[in-house]
Amino acid sequence: MDKTLKNPLTYLLFVLPAIALYVLFFIYPMLTTFYYGFTDWDGLNPAKFNGFDNFAKAFKDDLFVHAIRNNMIFILASVLIQVPLIIFFALMISGVKRLQRFYKTTVFMPSILSTSVIGILWGFIYEPDIGLLNQFLGLFGIEPIYWLAERQTAMIAVLITNAWQWMGFYIILVLAAILALPKELNEAAAIDGATGIQRAFNITVPLIRPIISVVIMLSIAGAMRVVDIVLVMTNGGPAGETEVMASYMVSHAIQSGQYGFGTSIAILIFLFALVLTALYQLLFARKQERIEY
Amino acid sequence: MPAALKKGIPHLLLIAYVVAVLYPFVFVVFSSLKESNQAIAENPWGFPFEMKFENYVNAWVNAKISVYFWNSLYLSTTAAVSGVLIAAAMAFAITRMRFGRSSKLLTQFVLIGMLIPGNALFISQYLLVRDLHILNTHWALFLPYVAGAVPMSVLLIAAFMRAIPGELEEAAVMDGLSSAGLFARIVLPLTVPALVTVFIINFLGNWNEFLLANFFLNKDSLRTLPTGMVGFRDTFQTNYAQMCTGIVYSVVPVLIIYAFLQEKIIEGLTAGGVKG
Repeated sequence: MDKTLKNPLTYLLFVLPAIALYVLFFIYPMLTTFYYGFTDWDGLNPAKFNGFDNFAKAFKDDLFVHAIRNNMIFILASVLIQVPLIIFFALMISGVKRLQRFYKTTVFMPSILSTSVIGILWGFIYEPDIGLLNQFLGLFGIEPIYWLAERQTAMIAVLITNAWQWMGFYIILVLAAILALPKELNEAAAIDGATGIQRAFNITVPLIRPIISVVIMLSIAGAMRVVDIVLVMTNGGPAGETEVMASYMVSHAIQSGQYGFGTSIAILIFLFALVLTALYQLLFARKQERIEY
Repeated sequence: MPAALKKGIPHLLLIAYVVAVLYPFVFVVFSSLKESNQAIAENPWGFPFEMKFENYVNAWVNAKISVYFWNSLYLSTTAAVSGVLIAAAMAFAITRMRFGRSSKLLTQFVLIGMLIPGNALFISQYLLVRDLHILNTHWALFLPYVAGAVPMSVLLIAAFMRAIPGELEEAAVMDGLSSAGLFARIVLPLTVPALVTVFIINFLGNWNEFLLANFFLNKDSLRTLPTGMVGFRDTFQTNYAQMCTGIVYSVVPVLIIYAFLQEKIIEGLTAGGVKG
């Protein structure tokens, strides 16, 4: 028994492929990111150590500050607008008997699609002349709006697309948590005469707080990573209006060859995400006592 | 009838939400069958009565959607299969073989991967791929895709393998099976449900991946659907019917997989999501 399952050579052989790839494409890039972020490097000539210069340069660039602001807008929109809607729709689906499977299946659909294809699809919906949205508004006599080309509307248009893509995924997460709750609590409250809304607010929502916490954390992480949708729909435009940190990073590194500067933006993305989630954990998540039923 | 009304309101709201999710698809499918922008503009909501199936032939043959489609299909499949196999091998070693301390360490080590935001590694990976001289080959996507799948795949499969009772393998070892045989003939077959879930998650991730595909390849003949579609849009921006056929081609395979396996996909993604 032990001879077979304690053979170090076999063990190594089984572990090696996964670990080798993981080290090469995860750990090594992580280490080089933290190295090159502190250098001035064009990717070809030797990298020159320049301390925190890249970071200072980034924060002096209005475009980057605007990109940070946009990441924050993504976070606020997800946490303040999407999360309440997600909970609302999850409660609705958990409450119905008929068609529940149908809702579950359809609601989730957008989140399995490619962000880039969704960007293209919604780009067509926002198309000024023949797009769905303007055609619809035209019914009420509203003049065509250039959604993705105007400063006032571009960001909103991207946010709506992002919400359309991801809300269903989170609804299903929350729904799974609701359906896993013991039914007795709700039934007992119903017998005591609590209305559906009272039960939702006083029983269900407090019990699913851990999963809501997860949803908020995932939203923050997702908002820090957001990039595909921006690249495809607006490429950061008009005039940098929809630029986010990751699109700023990509355009500076790959397109203008400032690899040292680009990797320092990567470090900033990483740090921001870390600080925000830690902050959230400290301020909100820790307050929750363990829930027992 | 207040009771019926009360029951009806949730459905009303939910149907409205479902329409908001589904209508964009319907709009694209309808538009893809229309003759021209003119025809779409005249009748944006309506059913395409003169169905132009030529649009589909044109997009597939002339606009090279077929090239992107096959690139996506074979890359996503091979990367997902490889990812599942190496993750299963590692999961087997750390859960079933008797190297307790190394296994614990390796699990922790792999867990770090779940904490690193993928985008933050993008530039370093680009440089790595460049230095390995595989930029502009499919290896530039294949290897990062397989590697990227390692942390979550290993953790999910390991969780599943831990639940297999020890008596089974004891009996197998008594019968003279080596650990490789034990893995291939006993443990792997028992793990199939987890392997399928992990395969689907990896496959969908690869099929939809955009950032690496966009910047690690610039030969048109190598492009995958997500990036090919962007180029396609830029070329055919004036012809929305044609563009919509492209969208349909890239969405339909995913929806077919989803239709058959939606329970598994939801289960797998929510399990991963809760952990991540």
